[in-house]
Amino acid sequence: MASGRRRAVLVQLLRYLLMILIALLMFLPIYWLLISSVQPAKTIFKFTRDITWDTFIPRVLTWENYQYIFTPPSNFPRALFNTLFVGGTTAVFGLLINSLAGFAFAIFDFKGKSILFAVVLATFMMPFESIVIPLYVLIKGMGLFDTYQALIFPALANGLIIFLFRQFLAGIPRGLFEAALVDGASWLQVYCRIALPLAWPVIVTALLMMFNQIWESFFWPLVAAPTPEHVLIQIEIVRNINFDEAIWGRLFASSAVATLVPMVLFLSMQKYYVRSIVSSAFK
Amino acid sequence: MPATGSASRPLDLPEVEEDAAGDFMRTQSRVTPYLFILPALLGLIAFRIAPIGVSLVGSLTGQTLMGETRFVWLKNYLDLVANPAFWSSLGLTLIFNLLINPFQIAVALALALLVFRRTRGIDLIRTTYFLPMTVSIGVASILWNLLLDPSLGLVNGIFRKLGIPPQPFFTGASQAMPSLIWLATWKGVGYWMIFLLAGLNDIPHLLYEAAEIDGARSFARFRYITLPLMKRPIAFVLVADTVANFLFFAPVYLITRGGPMGATNLLMFTAYQSAFTYGNMGRSLAISTTILLIIAAFACVELKFFRAEEQSYG
Repeated sequence: MASGRRRAVLVQLLRYLLMILIALLMFLPIYWLLISSVQPAKTIFKFTRDITWDTFIPRVLTWENYQYIFTPPSNFPRALFNTLFVGGTTAVFGLLINSLAGFAFAIFDFKGKSILFAVVLATFMMPFESIVIPLYVLIKGMGLFDTYQALIFPALANGLIIFLFRQFLAGIPRGLFEAALVDGASWLQVYCRIALPLAWPVIVTALLMMFNQIWESFFWPLVAAPTPEHVLIQIEIVRNINFDEAIWGRLFASSAVATLVPMVLFLSMQKYYVRSIVSSAFK
Repeated sequence: MPATGSASRPLDLPEVEEDAAGDFMRTQSRVTPYLFILPALLGLIAFRIAPIGVSLVGSLTGQTLMGETRFVWLKNYLDLVANPAFWSSLGLTLIFNLLINPFQIAVALALALLVFRRTRGIDLIRTTYFLPMTVSIGVASILWNLLLDPSLGLVNGIFRKLGIPPQPFFTGASQAMPSLIWLATWKGVGYWMIFLLAGLNDIPHLLYEAAEIDGARSFARFRYITLPLMKRPIAFVLVADTVANFLFFAPVYLITRGGPMGATNLLMFTAYQSAFTYGNMGRSLAISTTILLIIAAFACVELKFFRAEEQSYG
């Protein structure tokens, strides 16, 4: 018995060792990005060639890289504004139209419902990237190339978000909606006053997902709106890639900003996010 | 609740309440449902479905020297079929998928099993595993490109310290693809782990207890309980992961540009280059259509799979 227990302790010890090792592997690149962004540009790579404690624990801290990317002529503030504007607009209007559709699919019975719902499901099984090039042709034909609309319009209707709302609202007892109808409320009022307040966990997730989708988007903004006027954050960062030593610091600082925003959002809403994406898969 | 199941069963109400449900429905006017779904439906048709049509039709067009667009019918496809570069790109994309998908799923499953038991500090460890997925693919590419830089990179710095000779990584013809797989796995494995953890959670604990009483060793428990019951989440992750990896683009665009010597010339990058480097939109759309067909095939498998599951659950 005693040796069995000792073995169990040993197994647990090895498990923790392995878990921590992998955690370091996952986290160290991010940590290195963050500390490099507050180091003087010249020293960043000095310590990667010659590994010492200084590689991981910086002695000199500086905000110069951040100051640089936030002062003219840097286009980074513009890219940040564009991304916040496009992401915010997409999230708010996308929430509205997708929740309306999800509500209809959950509550109403109407002709063609199953076919239309199949269309919704099909659109979220076909990832957006697969249609980027024809969509570019389409947007160009509509005269929307290099506009905010080119970035916002295609991201508004979202099959996954419709699906999440539909799943959530289909699980709510009918009695709640019926009672309101008996009291003379219209369907729009039922949607606004009863369905939406109940669906707040889905609302939180949907806003996060749609904002994040814009924030992280790369392929679409690269082809649809690449000029400095409408550039989004991910494209602005890679435009700085140039292995000229002086601008490494800026590359790290802008990458750190681009990483910290979704990371903080994710960490604060991890529970809802994880639950929602799981329910999109097998519920 | 199955993915498509209750769409045909209007209210999800038990049989006995049919009458009440009927009254409830009568208050709904004929057009109300359509008004509710109209904005979203228009968006999906204009920006998800119409592009598929554009891809099909556009792939049948070409440009004359004067810059006029006209129908060339199957010429773009015939050109692709006759072009060894296309076949090598398609083959490379298939090999990439055959390597990366089993690898990512094996790692994700191993990690899910590792962090499944809720012992002390497990939330922190799980969160660390999720963190890389919040790093955008662009930043992840920049980051690993620098970490794996042959002369300045941190990884080679550590190798030197350990007495291992520096490696070329993205700049070596045989190491570029494995390096891309490493980058994608670092970023993606936490995401796939979420689904597998949820699958593990759904396995009734009693099964393990019974097996333990019967004296089943941990490998036997894994082989005869965990694996069979994880078929569904694993299959889901396999399909979703494959579809995602068929569209692998940003790291190739940012780091390897298809090189060295075409070693990472994946299909999506070829499509991009045809359109935006060589200005051959017809050819690019023919490649896009090919990718769409492959993905549609996977989506069908996915749908079939869920239909089958749904039936087996009654």
